[in-house]
Amino acid sequence: MTGIARAVLGAFITIALTQGSPAFAADVESDALSLESSPGVAPAEGIQSTKLFVEGALGNATQRYGRGSRDLSRLSLDFSHNARLGPGLRAFISDRLDQIHPREPAGADETVNSLREAYLSWQPEGGTSVVAVGRINLRYGPGYGFNPTDFFRDGSLRALTTADPFALRENRLGSVMLRAQHLWTDGSLSVALSPKLANRPSMDGWSLDLGSTNNRDRALVALGTQFSQSVSSQLLLYKEDGLSPALGANVTALLSDAAVAHLEWSRSKEPDLLSRALAQPATNERRNRFVSGLTYTTLSKLSITGEYQYNGFGLDQANWAALGASPSAQLAYLSEALRRQDLAPRQAYLIYVTQKNFGLKDLDLTGYVRFNPGDHSRLAWLELRRHWPSFDLTFQLQKNMGRPASEFGVLPDRNIMQILGTYYF
Amino acid sequence: MKSWVLILIACLAGSTSALAAPSAEEILAASDAIRNPSKPFSVMVTLTEFQAGKQVDTSTLTSYSRTQQQGGQFSSLLRFVLPARDAGKLMLKNGNEMWFYDPTSKASVRLSPQQRLLGQASNGDVATVNLAKDYKATLVGEEDIQDGERKVRKAYKLSLTASMPDVTYASIEMWVDAENSRPIKARFYAESSRLLKTVYYRRFQSQLGAERPTESVIIDGLNPQSVTLMRFSDYSARNIPDSWMQRDFLPHFQPE
Repeated sequence: MTGIARAVLGAFITIALTQGSPAFAADVESDALSLESSPGVAPAEGIQSTKLFVEGALGNATQRYGRGSRDLSRLSLDFSHNARLGPGLRAFISDRLDQIHPREPAGADETVNSLREAYLSWQPEGGTSVVAVGRINLRYGPGYGFNPTDFFRDGSLRALTTADPFALRENRLGSVMLRAQHLWTDGSLSVALSPKLANRPSMDGWSLDLGSTNNRDRALVALGTQFSQSVSSQLLLYKEDGLSPALGANVTALLSDAAVAHLEWSRSKEPDLLSRALAQPATNERRNRFVSGLTYTTLSKLSITGEYQYNGFGLDQANWAALGASPSAQLAYLSEALRRQDLAPRQAYLIYVTQKNFGLKDLDLTGYVRFNPGDHSRLAWLELRRHWPSFDLTFQLQKNMGRPASEFGVLPDRNIMQILGTYYF
Repeated sequence: MKSWVLILIACLAGSTSALAAPSAEEILAASDAIRNPSKPFSVMVTLTEFQAGKQVDTSTLTSYSRTQQQGGQFSSLLRFVLPARDAGKLMLKNGNEMWFYDPTSKASVRLSPQQRLLGQASNGDVATVNLAKDYKATLVGEEDIQDGERKVRKAYKLSLTASMPDVTYASIEMWVDAENSRPIKARFYAESSRLLKTVYYRRFQSQLGAERPTESVIIDGLNPQSVTLMRFSDYSARNIPDSWMQRDFLPHFQPE
């Protein structure tokens, strides 16, 4: 009998017993009252402000084109800390050290340090304003797999350690900026100014890599509004050196007890993605990026998100197929899309599923399928994660499916399997 | 003579009404005031989960709560402390508006009430919520009832039906100590009349100017072998501006 079947049978027996016997229910209540709380030793303040974990991964990828398979390994140390320096003044640091084998592109350092954040934050008395300066990970957008309003997303991924779009964001680098925010009841206004500090990304594993995050002057203004308990939005105006201002907006709405919808849109004038990937001359064109999705949660704790994604700067199917004559150009295009955290095809669909307590307490299932309707290729990813108080054991499986010249069929890896162990201090 | 009789009757009537039982709404409001301080506050919450009497999990969080300027309902910001993997994660609850924020991914995700039921955060509904704001109360009668310390108390039994849309529980049965308005026990029901939770409030201690329950025993309605104890400690008055209770503040939330 499976764990799920046992759980269902157990629930039926419990219901039958409790519904049929009030005396039994009274006894159960009486038993419950004899229980005692855990001592629940609260950690000292210093421990609360520090988070530290180590993670090891071993895996194998089977490859296409007769390349056989390759072994994968990774060891990561992830650290974040914040310290109170004075009234309203705090310092934050967040860093991650990865040892990745093999590393892509070939020849890149296998040891990669990512100083994700390092900044000072000041909240004047009253707490309705915040000013921060330093390397800050500023992120916008409710989309699951693609965030058109996340204007600081490009170049932010220094080391790719997962295919999970949520976990992927955990490794991203912040940009050096001055940021100010003022809050009022049901709203906020934020301004971020991020200067150019370097010309190009660095392959050095110990570099601050400001060339990835601060290679041009950028500015962002964001207005957040809470229209009601059910609807909230953000309006964004973004400007970077050499390009016209871009507009963005996102909305989330609670549709029912079980359903949440999200919308995200941006409009900008810039070169198309292929021109950027192949460094071709191009004229700037004004186009849209768009995401809409719906998350539904069942009573059995299953959450399903369906999302439609559109990128006016991405290749449509005809042009992607034309690029198929040169697999290396296709791979360069996909690599640039990944580096910019942009959507590679013109349109895509995402189904994202999470199930807490999947048959067993403390066993979580997460999975998604990304579907390219143009060439019918798919990426499927599945994770089973078992929690213990300070340790997680995780199994991950990724399958890239499609015809040879399709978005996911052109990728060298066909199947990737990994086992991960994570220890939290 | 006749006028003296009338005056006497009027006085008696007045004194009778002064001694009359409080209304159901008054009982509920007094009980709410015991569970929830009127000023912004924080409290450390330790949750211990049991299955068939055996401890299976424990977690700790700090709750920062205040009354909303509009509507009078509670807003709560929960900051997870233990287990270590969840340390620093935040959950914001403004009525039905609920956000989960992970400082590692910087992601703010809006949750639906059904998602709220996924974790221990759902138990916050039976702890910090002003029931009088969302429910219409009816006094069913007086009963002798065993409290969370197994002592028999004389209690008002209230029947609560949701007066606001989109509340988590369609109806509630509640027993309030007739002597001091302390909440003793409550049963929370779904719209289908299915029992979702039974809660005992116990271990009353002086906290922020009143005798408040420092432990709730929460018994799952579907599976009574599943019991959660919520222990409240380190109550502290806090400056929590209304403007903090929104999604855009979550990345900055760092209590002093």
